Amino acid sequence: MSSRTCHTCGGTDIDVDQARGSAVCTSCGSVLEDNIIVSEVQFVEGSGGVSSAVGQFVSADGPVKAPQLGSGFHTSVGKESRAQTLQSGKRQIQQLGSQLQLNQHCLDTAFNFFKMVVSKHLTRGRKMEHVIAACLYLVCRTEGTPHMLLDLSDLLQVNVYILGKTFLLLARELCINAPAIDPCLYIPRFAHMLDFGTKTHDVSMTALRLVQRMKRDWMHTGRRPSGLCGAALLVAARMHTFRRTVKDVISVVKVCQTTLRKRLTEFEETPTSQLTIDEFMRVDLEQECDPPSFTAGQHKTKMQQLEHELTRKLDEVEGEISCYKNEIETELEKSRPKLRGIYAAYAREINPEDTEVLSSASDLEEVESEEAELQAATQHLTQDFLCQVMEEEVGQDRKTDGVRQKMGPEVEGGGALRQVAPLATILGKLTTTAPFDLQQTFDPSPEDDETERGVLDLDGIDDQEIEKYILNDREVQVKTELWMIQNAEYLQEQREKDERIRKEKEQGTYKEKKKKKSKKGEQVEALTAGEAIEKMLEKKKISRKINYDVLRDLNSRGGGSSPAHPPNTCAAHPPNTNTDAQQKLNRRRQRRSSGVNHELAANASIMGKRFHLLISTTTKKKKRVESQVQNPVTMTTTTTKAVAETSHDPEPHPTSSSSTAVPPTVEAEEEEEAEEEECVSALQLVGDYGCEEEEVF
Amino acid sequence: MDSSNDDALDIIITNVVATFRTRCHLNLRTIALEGTNVIYKPEVGKVLMKLRKPKITASIWSSGKIICTGATSEDDAKVGARRLARCLQKLGFKVRFSAFKVVNVLAVCSMPFSIHLVDFTKNNRPIASYEPELHPAATYRIKHLKATIQVFSTGSLTVTGPNVQNVATAVEQVYPLLFECRKPLREKRKVN
Repeated sequence: MSSRTCHTCGGTDIDVDQARGSAVCTSCGSVLEDNIIVSEVQFVEGSGGVSSAVGQFVSADGPVKAPQLGSGFHTSVGKESRAQTLQSGKRQIQQLGSQLQLNQHCLDTAFNFFKMVVSKHLTRGRKMEHVIAACLYLVCRTEGTPHMLLDLSDLLQVNVYILGKTFLLLARELCINAPAIDPCLYIPRFAHMLDFGTKTHDVSMTALRLVQRMKRDWMHTGRRPSGLCGAALLVAARMHTFRRTVKDVISVVKVCQTTLRKRLTEFEETPTSQLTIDEFMRVDLEQECDPPSFTAGQHKTKMQQLEHELTRKLDEVEGEISCYKNEIETELEKSRPKLRGIYAAYAREINPEDTEVLSSASDLEEVESEEAELQAATQHLTQDFLCQVMEEEVGQDRKTDGVRQKMGPEVEGGGALRQVAPLATILGKLTTTAPFDLQQTFDPSPEDDETERGVLDLDGIDDQEIEKYILNDREVQVKTELWMIQNAEYLQEQREKDERIRKEKEQGTYKEKKKKKSKKGEQVEALTAGEAIEKMLEKKKISRKINYDVLRDLNSRGGGSSPAHPPNTCAAHPPNTNTDAQQKLNRRRQRRSSGVNHELAANASIMGKRFHLLISTTTKKKKRVESQVQNPVTMTTTTTKAVAETSHDPEPHPTSSSSTAVPPTVEAEEEEEAEEEECVSALQLVGDYGCEEEEVF
Repeated sequence: MDSSNDDALDIIITNVVATFRTRCHLNLRTIALEGTNVIYKPEVGKVLMKLRKPKITASIWSSGKIICTGATSEDDAKVGARRLARCLQKLGFKVRFSAFKVVNVLAVCSMPFSIHLVDFTKNNRPIASYEPELHPAATYRIKHLKATIQVFSTGSLTVTGPNVQNVATAVEQVYPLLFECRKPLREKRKVN
């Protein structure tokens, strides 16, 4: 052993006893090491006379520390937590990977990815399962195995898009470029599942050719590869006279029936589909097709072109139409249904707006500009209307409206409401496409000032229109009733909750629902950092080996009471009890640590020895170590009562403390010293102070 | 080869999202009961209010924060926001219009050619990503502009960005890349 110096006295003469496994300083007698670990290999005889070496294999993946080492998890031993994470990750990867039948190499790679992810802190805020699945999928993609994200989500019962999100993020963060999925990869796998017997290979090859053909025909961009595979396999199966229905295929391939049919239809439209089976196997057509969605788009544009032509013809006839329009308008006016309530108000508003629009005399700039826009853009409008007509006809029930809209912007149809919506959308479109915007109407300069002051710029805001948005009193009543009825359940819940809270408050058991659960439990009250550490250590009952006195000394005269020592000290204490402000701390401690009594009692004897050593070494008389609970062990009955009585008093003072504690402690110190020499019995002391002993050094 | 043809390419803004603050606490119940076109969601704690002109839907929280969606231009969004604030003012709250900010702009654009997404992704590796299992479009993220472009194989684009200028710049940036991977058009097939 290397010669070390003793911590307490500085002596270099250290006696190492192998038998007892301890290292002791011969000058002061302090134990430097207990349970020295020897680096020898020991052999043990097992059953049948077989001798085996004692020990465990430690895996290369990081230290696997057994939890009984005694070191707490509170200190910055982050490595332990990290190792645990990695270990659990590895386990999960193995589990999931074996379900997917991945080989060991893939699993190792996945674990490497996982390690990278953990080191980049990307596991924070994500479920471990998702991260593991994403790592596995990354491996599948880089290795090119025929596993789909869908398989993983099936296993985990998680939405595939959530997994996809995690996967994309990890791939981006780790800068791993996963090669694009090739549908050809999936063919053998699906073919196998479809059970073709001996001809599986042939069918697969045919399906492969089909898929390649599809790729050239631009059917595969933007589509799920599994859908394409399904279609190809279906056709290939039929080509080889296997009867596989659509249902069989979709159960294997996991797409919807509609999708499969659509793929088949698209394929049908390609020229390749016209070939016979033999021709297909021999010949490969040169030409390529456009993607099916592109052709659909083309179809649309064609329709639009037709419409353009129509509109041109329409322009010619416009004059005629306008007089029809006027007639129709008058008819509609007569037959318009009476609108009630808010709608009436709204309808009334519409007309003045219209008239404003029509007439040139208007105060509001906004309306003027609208009018100007409308006038200037009539040609645009007709075209837009037609487009809208197209959409609406394709859509729903607005056919009649569409007809009316063709007449012109000023047409007021039956339901005033329906009219305004399309009007607004038209105007909306205009604001983007027309050369002048509403922007012109608003002064940019005052806005700057106002935004600073936060005052609302009322320019261009039509108050009348705003009024529409606010209901009058009677309407409010009606709405209130309706709302109450509608939300009766919710209101009921709220009322019950309030009552519950009130009752609890009365009973005094009301606890504010804590949103965050602090694992640490009660807050440790302490004035100084040192005190806090000691209290915490004491609570955790960490180590008997820490010399808390020295710890305390380090922090100078802080008010701390040393937590763990109480066990040691208390046992032997009769001579050393202190009174002082420490009592208060004691009390508190006592309450908390009542459960620990038994342990302490058991340790008392051991502690006693230790205590002696400690006493001899330390010269400091100062501090108060809290002795906690201890006492109950030695003096149960008497103390408890006394303690109970006095416990209340000090309570108020808990840590208010050290400051106030200091003066008393000064006095106490003197008392302590005196006591120490007197060797007052514990009972006596208890009688005096009604508290448990404290020790003094 | 044409590089950016802004005039030839129609960038249509479909949605503008903006937020602002009223700097005062709002009583959602009052708004819900006294306003037209409002939907109250007490579980979530907000009120949805829809305006007709400009066509805007606003989510109003009791803290006074308001999000406006559905506008078709930045100015429209501002007008709508102001109108909304005016409406709240009339309801009796001491509303002030502050911290107006356009948060997101969504636009669509259409290329006259279709695009080979796999090639496009291969050429622009880390910036572009394409997962056919998840989404039919390839996503192209421009970091310094904070814009995201979704490219579909038909040639249509969806662009989102913090303001209209960024959106236009993004389209200009991505155009040459798309042009490289375009699919040469064959003769038009007859539509069955």
